[in-house]
Amino acid sequence: MTQKQKRQTVETDVLIIGGGVTGAGIMRDLAFRGLQTLLIDRKDLCAGASGGNHGLLHSGSRYISSDLHSAIECREESTILKHVASQCIEETGGLFVAVEGDDPGFAENFAALCQPAGIACNPISIDDAKKLEPLLSDKLFKAYKVPDATVDPFRLALLNVAHARMINSSSFRPHTELLHFTLKDGKIESATCRDNQTNSILTIYANQYVNACGAWAMNIAQLAGCKDVNLLYSKGTLLVSHDRLTTHVVNRLRPPGDGDILVPGGTVSVLGTTSIRVDDLITVKPTVAEIDINVREGTAMIPALAKARYIRAFSGVRPLLQSAGGSDDREATRGFALLDHSTQNLSNFCTITGGKLTTYRLMAEKTSDLVAGRLNNSEPCQTHVTPLPDEESCKWTEPGASPKYWYKANDPEDMILCECEMVPQSAIDEIVKDAPGAEKEMTLKAIALRSRAGKGPCQGSFCGIRIASYLYDQGHYHDKTGLIHMRDFFNERFKGTRTVTWGLQAAQMELAEALHCGLLGLDNLENN
Amino acid sequence: MTEKTIPTLNFKEKAEELLPEGASFEACLTCGLCSSGCPASGIENMDPRKFIRMAMLGMDKELSTSKWIWACTQCKRCQHVCPMSIDISQLVFLARSNWPREKKPAGIVRSCQLIQSTDSTSAMGLPPEDFVFVVQDVLEEVREQQPKFKNMQAPMDKKGAHFFVNQNSREPMSEPDEMVPLWKIFDIVGANWTYSSKAWAAENFCMFSGNEEAWREVIKKRVDAVNELGCEVWLNTECGHSYYTMWNGINRFGMKADFKLESLVTYYARWIREGKLPVNSDWNRKNITFTVQDPCMIVRKAYGESIAEDMRFVTKSLVGEENFIDMQPNRSANYCCGGGGGFLQAGMTEHRRTYGKRKFDQIAATGASYVLTPCHNCHSQIEDIGHHYRGSYGVVHFWTLICLSLGILGENERTYLGPDLLECI
Amino acid sequence: MCMSEEDRHFSAELAVIGTGLAGFAASIFALKRNIKTAQVGNTGAVAYTTGYLDLLGSLAPDYLASIEDPWQGIEQLRDSHPRHPLCRIPKDDIFTAFEQFTSFLGKCGIAYTPPGEFNVSGLTPAGTLKPTLCVPATMQVGSAAFSQKEPCVIIDFKGLKGFSSRQVVANLKDRWPKLSSKRVEFPDMVSGEIYPEVMARSLEVPATREKLAKILASAAGDVKVIGLPAILGMHAPDLVREELEQLTGLQIFEIPTMPPSVPGIRLREMFEQLFPQKGVTLIPQQKVDRLVFIENGAQLSLNDSFGPISIHAKSVILATGRFLSGGLKAGVDGVSEPLLKLPVTQPDSRREWYREKYTDRRGHAVNSAGIEVDSSFRPLDNHGRPYSKNLFAAGVILAHQDWIRGRCGAGVAIATAYKAVEEVEKLLK
Repeated sequence: MTQKQKRQTVETDVLIIGGGVTGAGIMRDLAFRGLQTLLIDRKDLCAGASGGNHGLLHSGSRYISSDLHSAIECREESTILKHVASQCIEETGGLFVAVEGDDPGFAENFAALCQPAGIACNPISIDDAKKLEPLLSDKLFKAYKVPDATVDPFRLALLNVAHARMINSSSFRPHTELLHFTLKDGKIESATCRDNQTNSILTIYANQYVNACGAWAMNIAQLAGCKDVNLLYSKGTLLVSHDRLTTHVVNRLRPPGDGDILVPGGTVSVLGTTSIRVDDLITVKPTVAEIDINVREGTAMIPALAKARYIRAFSGVRPLLQSAGGSDDREATRGFALLDHSTQNLSNFCTITGGKLTTYRLMAEKTSDLVAGRLNNSEPCQTHVTPLPDEESCKWTEPGASPKYWYKANDPEDMILCECEMVPQSAIDEIVKDAPGAEKEMTLKAIALRSRAGKGPCQGSFCGIRIASYLYDQGHYHDKTGLIHMRDFFNERFKGTRTVTWGLQAAQMELAEALHCGLLGLDNLENN
Repeated sequence: MTEKTIPTLNFKEKAEELLPEGASFEACLTCGLCSSGCPASGIENMDPRKFIRMAMLGMDKELSTSKWIWACTQCKRCQHVCPMSIDISQLVFLARSNWPREKKPAGIVRSCQLIQSTDSTSAMGLPPEDFVFVVQDVLEEVREQQPKFKNMQAPMDKKGAHFFVNQNSREPMSEPDEMVPLWKIFDIVGANWTYSSKAWAAENFCMFSGNEEAWREVIKKRVDAVNELGCEVWLNTECGHSYYTMWNGINRFGMKADFKLESLVTYYARWIREGKLPVNSDWNRKNITFTVQDPCMIVRKAYGESIAEDMRFVTKSLVGEENFIDMQPNRSANYCCGGGGGFLQAGMTEHRRTYGKRKFDQIAATGASYVLTPCHNCHSQIEDIGHHYRGSYGVVHFWTLICLSLGILGENERTYLGPDLLECI
Repeated sequence: MCMSEEDRHFSAELAVIGTGLAGFAASIFALKRNIKTAQVGNTGAVAYTTGYLDLLGSLAPDYLASIEDPWQGIEQLRDSHPRHPLCRIPKDDIFTAFEQFTSFLGKCGIAYTPPGEFNVSGLTPAGTLKPTLCVPATMQVGSAAFSQKEPCVIIDFKGLKGFSSRQVVANLKDRWPKLSSKRVEFPDMVSGEIYPEVMARSLEVPATREKLAKILASAAGDVKVIGLPAILGMHAPDLVREELEQLTGLQIFEIPTMPPSVPGIRLREMFEQLFPQKGVTLIPQQKVDRLVFIENGAQLSLNDSFGPISIHAKSVILATGRFLSGGLKAGVDGVSEPLLKLPVTQPDSRREWYREKYTDRRGHAVNSAGIEVDSSFRPLDNHGRPYSKNLFAAGVILAHQDWIRGRCGAGVAIATAYKAVEEVEKLLK
């Protein structure tokens, strides 16, 4: 490195590493207790499992056969979240359906299994099921209704961070990667990080350090010299359909398997998932085989899935604590683990891992209890009763919301930049100005994460160009890096489209590539 | 009185039902060719691409209540330019039909009501006996005052005539002499034609008001009238949507029609080619220039290029090839002028004129002194936007120019001629 | 059916299936050879063309750099990629094809620079450059001004999405220091969004040109060259540009925009209007339902809203394009050719269609999938033999070329169409 690296030092009460919903939740919980935090992530919010899941707010019924404890946790937490994070949740309700070929015994017993967990599981007639969801297969033989719901994890993370910021100026830094810890006398003295966008070095001094890195928790723990975090990784791949196929969450009524769940995601549907053991976290991506399995299995429940247009696929990694054994990762406990590392000669470090989106708040509560306790802070948790306040810059991730705002405002000068999801200029303005993680030159990826831009059928191929042009107009971009942001954005979206490009999506891709490479030459940029 | 609300339709579902597979809303690439090529883009802050996306994003309430559906004339240009051939106009029609009657633009509704009010099916409510009277009255006057036509006919209810000819209400109601040029043409070519006292009118605002049942009723009356008189050919006057509502309606409602549907334009061309109508452009000594409007209802939505060609053949024969300047784009790619879809009756004048700006620019670019068009709505709209945007062109029907060319245009038949054309007589 | 269904029959010596660049090029070459031609296709995708006519801009397999000399590039391809369609046509023929094509367009009011020895740098709305062979006259000044590094103002319009003069300048500034940007309002536009198409058509009206000329002259200041997004007229772009130049005293050029863009619409409208006038039976809104080869010819069946249409032709050129235009279909299990079920050369499985990275310079294997042809451009069947002696193919439906990465879309379309028509002529004799 010939150029002198910029160096900076920051002090805070608690450093939280890992910008998933758990990290964001801890940030808010601690803020309520008067503790200031800095949240960092080497990428951005929801870069791990929090951004690669079904978006399902589990009623818990899915775990009744394999993990009663988790099932109960899910039931309790989903009830709490429906109250405190209602703006992030759509109470769609859920169905469990068995089709010809599924185990009738399992199907019969289902309600009985749900009972000990206290989950409201009501059998419904096939006719009623089909009235609720006309796309269900004719080969249906059993159906139940459960209180599943869907949740927008991006909005959840954004609102948690925004609220913490509002309470006590706690802050979030994206693209900030932990390089190493400096240890002294059984404590972490500081954390040295690199800002991957500016290439500058940031040294953080905190009283407590929290590892909320989900699947990467083992890597981070090892940096602190801890050997007590042992994780297995299970990849799950899901696909997103062009438009929403069902009103409810539709689950397959059988022991958990591939392609079992079709979850509404506002204006689309999400089909998944698979469970494949992977050894590293680097090469996690959807494979053609997984796509095909999901479609095949899902089609048994909902035949229309065979002909649906898909616009994207993505993978997430479930961190599994190695204590589980057993050959099927779905059998492993989905409960979470909070490690205080007391056996590792560290008194100000803890790791929270495992678990699921639905129980993030509980995970954050337990972690916050530990951290606060170590700081002799006895303020109570408030996150189970205090609703998340809304924030203007955080409202744009909700599917179908942006067009409604735009339509109501009826301002012809506020032009729509993402036509698929109808995201107007004013949304971009607000995000760039004020969203958690907003900064002087935001990448298109970061803007897209905080909105619906790029999430529609064209997967950003048109709006990436329009938004970039707008940002140049506004002076937000002013040199070639704007083009690099465009290229990076399209590359990012491509990861999702490359395995589902058939039928109409192939036409869409051809047009996109003709535009990006043929016309704009983004494949020829210098540092490609 | 309780205020009626507009029910909410599920547009995504309806699009799936109505449009063919591979050409429905899920095939949209959001490329924007439709919006770019639509004169209604920007009105009510809407455009065709937004319509599709709003449907897919579940904005059913907004789509159900948006006034844009009354600015979209259902001209189908969006489908024409779309690489996936997605036809948004069908959903617009559905949206119109979904509005309670009280909320629809009163002018269009009233026109439909008038159509239904008498056996004439006239949007101006002119009853059959009055129509018969006016025709008779004008005919007598012509026979008296124009010796060349002292034996001219304007048959009424003539059974077994070859041509059943319809008539727009505007002429008999407000400018009856304008009916005469066509009679003269029939007279010269020796056509065996008739009017019908029942269901004689051409216009059909019931389709525009989204009233499917009324539309069906009107078409039924008209089909019955033709069947009753046993005519072989239903010859559509110079009116765009009367052809489309009839042709499309017969198919849509599964009616039995024992006759062919033809446009006057086709026959003008045929008669000129056969020498029956000996027009020429000698009268155009001053080389007055003309352009031609392609009514969406006859060209893009119906006959297509063949009738566009016939229209140009007729025009060139009438005015001289060198005096004809085609507007751009043209034929099936031409823009709707904004006169159709009930826009002229909808009371949305500002929107209608905004819509018509593209047509005005097209005409202005030709520099032509006159626009020829075989469509009453085009005629009215193109005249109106000409005044509004301070153009200097006139608008004429084909029959007027045919008679001018033949030197037989009566004194009372020259209303739409400017001083330059008048000098040519 | 209550009203008469009209059965229409046409006969032709050549039926061209496809209304993209290759299809239209084929009709142009057929007209020149007095071959009675009918052309069918579901037009639409041709409207996405930028207006540039690329012969060859980058070399397989790595597409590492823009090449300056496409002719030499073709020579290199002959060694490394002999099955690339451009390698199977003599250079002189390719040159002639481009000459004839551009000269035809010029006579129709859309002038182009003639094909030269070297590629030209075409400007893009991102402020990048692309190598191309023939440039519309309306864009030519831009390439020239860039190579001379003349002072120039890029002007954009309020309400026009996706085109930012600041973006163009920001990305070209290091190579073109005297480039600057300005924003203006287009005359008589109502508030909100405007489309290039609307501006272009409006400029066909003399009064609009006069108004815009004043605005442009004022925005240019002392600078003598200005660049605009592609809005210089739709029907008569050369005329519009010349008049604006006269009115402003400036040199003016346009830069292609993202879709919906004007240069593509110009071509589409021109082809659709002029071809019937020149004697081609053109059915531009329908897809062929069935294609059957019979003794000494083929029978094409299609439908429109009036009923069935059938075309009997002695020869057929299949120029149906790729996924966007429906010439190839991408299914879960592979790529197919839907009209005749011709075998498609393609990667073994869908897993191999796309590389990991979108902008991987080597491009994606699925984009080189396509149908095989013999040396006379007759498509091959499953046994490697010509499907029919009366069937030919042209355009990007052919295998062994990646038109996007190779920047050779127009080249493949025009050159193979030329060759296919030459073969048709031989057959008809």
